[in-house]
Amino acid sequence: MPELAPLSFANGDGPLADISVLELVGEFGSYAGELLSGLGAQVRRLPHPVTANELEAVRQELGEADVLLRSGGADAPEPPQLDPAALRSLHPRLIQAILTPFGSDGPKAGCPSTDLVRLAAGGLLWLGGYPDGEPVAPYGGQSTLCTAIFAVIAVLLAVLQRDHAGVGATIDVSAQEVLIQALETSLPEYELTGKVRRRAGSAPREAGTGLYPCADGYVSMVAGRLGTARAWRRLREWLVEEGVPGAEELFEQRWETLEFRQRPEAIARFAEVFGAFTAIRGKLELYLEAQQRSIALAPVNTPAEVLVDPQLAAREFFRQLPDGTTGEPRTVPSAPYRFWTERDEVVAH
Amino acid sequence: MKDVLRGIRVLDFCWVGAGALVTKLLAEHGAEVIKVESHARPDNLRLSPPYAPGADGLDRSGYFASRNNDKRSFALNMSLPKAQELARELARQCDLVTNNFRPGVMERWGLGYEDVSKTNPSVIYLAMSMQGAYGPHTNYVGFGSTIAALAGLVHLSGQPSREPVGTGTHYPDHIPSPGHALVAVLAAIRRREHTGRGAMIEVSQLEATVNMIAPAIADAARGGEPARNGNRSDLACPSGVFRCRGEDEWCALAVRDEEQWQALDGALDGGRLFDDARFSSPEERRANEGELERAIAELVSDRDRDELAQSLQAVGVPAWPVLSSVDVLEDEQLRERGFWRSLNHPVLGHIDAPAAPFRADGQRTGPVRAAPMLGEHTRELAQELLGLSDAEIDALTAEQVLW
Repeated sequence: MPELAPLSFANGDGPLADISVLELVGEFGSYAGELLSGLGAQVRRLPHPVTANELEAVRQELGEADVLLRSGGADAPEPPQLDPAALRSLHPRLIQAILTPFGSDGPKAGCPSTDLVRLAAGGLLWLGGYPDGEPVAPYGGQSTLCTAIFAVIAVLLAVLQRDHAGVGATIDVSAQEVLIQALETSLPEYELTGKVRRRAGSAPREAGTGLYPCADGYVSMVAGRLGTARAWRRLREWLVEEGVPGAEELFEQRWETLEFRQRPEAIARFAEVFGAFTAIRGKLELYLEAQQRSIALAPVNTPAEVLVDPQLAAREFFRQLPDGTTGEPRTVPSAPYRFWTERDEVVAH
Repeated sequence: MKDVLRGIRVLDFCWVGAGALVTKLLAEHGAEVIKVESHARPDNLRLSPPYAPGADGLDRSGYFASRNNDKRSFALNMSLPKAQELARELARQCDLVTNNFRPGVMERWGLGYEDVSKTNPSVIYLAMSMQGAYGPHTNYVGFGSTIAALAGLVHLSGQPSREPVGTGTHYPDHIPSPGHALVAVLAAIRRREHTGRGAMIEVSQLEATVNMIAPAIADAARGGEPARNGNRSDLACPSGVFRCRGEDEWCALAVRDEEQWQALDGALDGGRLFDDARFSSPEERRANEGELERAIAELVSDRDRDELAQSLQAVGVPAWPVLSSVDVLEDEQLRERGFWRSLNHPVLGHIDAPAAPFRADGQRTGPVRAAPMLGEHTRELAQELLGLSDAEIDALTAEQVLW
């Protein structure tokens, strides 16, 4: 954005430049530290779990810290000297965020977990997978990342509160509760209609919406619902323009209604017509062509393809940083947000 | 912390997906969120099921209600120049202006960051479009599901032997995009409180989602080929979902170390497993993972899923029933922690809504007031903030400006 200037928080002027963070984390929490550090906080990672020998050092550091990020629960036991309530009374201004699988109290607080088990408890696992098979988890330890994001949100709220009122807070973040934020319409659907939503897989649930195979993989498309009625028309026009056999048929009156497009025969017929078109085209070509027509179609990218995505490349999204442990260069995404300001502010500053 | 954002006024143009969840959490923590839409152009979610049975009109959607609690609704027909003028005046009086439109929409209304910051220099402005505010694909359209595909998450999720399956939802809309946007907004609020300066925050929903698979990106950059691996994990073996007695009843379980493996023995009554040389060490179990999964599947196929999970939890094995939307409403752990809040909505009736997923000093925050009717707060806001008289409001309503 040439007309605006990027705000960089690297030079000690980030919104959290005065905040020092101690990280005592196991599986959870390291992404939280990363996000806080990106906003200018000084983040120190301590070994976890803390051994008796390290206790004194940890206690000293705590005297200086504004925020303590710690993972808790059965998977991350800590010595009794680091009991959250005791630390809090010793350091009333301390903001302590405890990241746990199921929360710090309740009958199941002490249960051990893995990402898969947390996804089961949070209801997200139920919605994933193939209709004819078992529930399948999303890739990549999403429960830990999501919990870290909400921990940072809670920490920032607590920092604002401390700015105003001078007191710290003990924050209890539950991964199970975090995942329930991601259940889409399934809760209101049950409450209003009594229907329990099941996993639907990625196959189309209506003609025009879902995953479709193409020459080199798959594309994902949404055309027809949630305000995309025009895209559904443009999609059919595109197919007619390209002389796809059967495309004219899609302009028959019955294809105008969502009710018809959700019938199995409509889903199958559309997949046949569209499939013949996509079978001889690559996902990138389909993506660029569809988007020229404002149709929400995207390639199902591999990570290697994400690395060469033209938009991300133009925005210089990927960076090379030395790996935290090995020091080898590592390709990492930039921060998930960018801050901008008027140019004159930067000059004046 | 339910009042920590008191005094922050938000002019909210976040419709449909990700953005609405940002302003929802702000509203739940004391911000005054003014949601702008109109009868001429309602938020698409108002037209999306599930609906209250037997109800009609624009206030019957449970989908809309689940994302817009605690906000105030201001009906303003943005296709009319007079409405745009009123919106600009509102923007002048707000601390935060938010939208998740395609780049260009707000600018056409004279509500881009540069327009708003002229009259309101300390404004915090959140723009969270699909792919960011600049770049060759900046105008591309998408949804959570297509962004998950573009970002690599769909390809990586599913069984290795089958097509990719993703999360079964518009996942980026629910946590990756709104969660990251909230982090940025709260940081910008603090910066403003300390320096008096505003900022524009740009969230590309694609970039927010790619951050959720950073290790796979690093792996691919080194020449690796990260791939779908079903429910298996590098950190546990076995790690899987097993069918139990009943229809579509499953239990997730995982074993991270030798101690948990021993505990699994007792709980599954699995002498057959543990005497088996194929499963005698972590390396053997990893090498024979498919057979191990089949053996466990056989042992648990007639167990009650809740009883199985409890017996595993009792001996320290990570396990949980795979909970559906009805199960989570009944889950003991969530209930004991006071997670559900009952809201009363004039059209939908009583609905249980999840609280914010954290507590501060034991205190819950979360939804208090059900989502507004379209235009419910138009009159009071027009009086309060725009200084309009009843007669002026009536006239603007007749002209379908306040509409």
